[in-house]
Amino acid sequence: MTDVSQRDNSRDDEKGAITVETPKGPVLIYSQCMPGFFSDLRLDAGLGHFSHYSSIIQKLEVFEKIAAGKDGRVSLGLVDDKVVVAYGVGYYPDSTERWSKLGDLMYEVAAIEVSRHYRSMKIADVMLSEMVNDELFADKILYMNGFSWHWDLDGKGLTMAQYRKMMMNFFKTHGFQENYTNEPNIALREENLFMVRIGPKVSPEDQQRFRNLRFGIVNR
Amino acid sequence: MLEHYPKEIVIKDGTPVLIRPATKEDEQALNEFFARIPQDERWFLRDDLADPVDLRRWIEQLDYNKVMPLVAVNQQDGAIIAEVRLHRRLARCLRHVAHLRIGVDPAYRNQRLGTWMLIDVIKLAMDLGLDKLLAEFVQEAEEAAIHAARRLDFFEHAIIRDYCKDVKGNYHDLLIMVKTLHSDWCDF
Repeated sequence: MTDVSQRDNSRDDEKGAITVETPKGPVLIYSQCMPGFFSDLRLDAGLGHFSHYSSIIQKLEVFEKIAAGKDGRVSLGLVDDKVVVAYGVGYYPDSTERWSKLGDLMYEVAAIEVSRHYRSMKIADVMLSEMVNDELFADKILYMNGFSWHWDLDGKGLTMAQYRKMMMNFFKTHGFQENYTNEPNIALREENLFMVRIGPKVSPEDQQRFRNLRFGIVNR
Repeated sequence: MLEHYPKEIVIKDGTPVLIRPATKEDEQALNEFFARIPQDERWFLRDDLADPVDLRRWIEQLDYNKVMPLVAVNQQDGAIIAEVRLHRRLARCLRHVAHLRIGVDPAYRNQRLGTWMLIDVIKLAMDLGLDKLLAEFVQEAEEAAIHAARRLDFFEHAIIRDYCKDVKGNYHDLLIMVKTLHSDWCDF
């Protein structure tokens, strides 16, 4: 059994992927998958429908659509080069969302999920690190919505409060901070999380606009 | 738990406010805050922190394990404009419960400031692993706080009739409200 705390994350330059050694064998992380990458893949059984919990993305076509969108990001963790055991996706907010009022300043880390069979192996850590450390985001505000109704409490064996704390600590290590907002979906339940990472080139004026928009104040 | 502070909010009129734990350095600002609370409201304070001597004693003995005080600071002038306290019990049978007290500067009411303070203290209570939050309110004297608590799923658990007296000697009921901090999906 491999000691996961001493796992070897080496970059496999030939395939453009990072290898994460896990007790279940190597998982290859492809951090920026292009359209067309997703044919012939399949989702691991640890991603899907469970009682009290369903994966956010359950169809490969969704990855294709995101990757084809403007600055869309799809990061995958693959086993045997064809089984998706983890994914992370990011894109600009939809025009129906509050954050779209700031245009391309805002960018959502929309989902990051690891199969129930591959958790606690630092896969999400490597994926998020690869995803956010991108020059594209230097002048953007990255954000994540942590909606508690998506959390796999049964799968992790955690309470809601423990899961929330785990999420906070996880994103915090990647430069995110919890921010308060009255955005209705976040405000719906107090355990929900809204975490933000402000790029080093985001101007003070844009930070001010974002701060106001968090509380529904536009153009001040 | 405190590494996530300060937290920034913007209240309805656009004033930027920081929420953070109170420290010993806040004594003067807290004195000024409590001095702005109207006399008839101060009457109902469980701890008379409007008295500078009592406030000094309280702040010198501040122990976050027993009382976690959070203050809201107006970023434009540095004034404390609201405070909320989480009173914890050290007895093993009551460690899962905390009582809360809240106060908002009259000039900043109806700005959702009290609601944000309650939201923050609820999140803090979750992070501390508490199961229940309990708040006592004097009916007719603390209606705004009761309303804000109701909106955040504090439920009325008991009313003690004619428990408190106001400054004129009239009796008021004491309302005990409890919020359960759900740990799983049973509430869905």
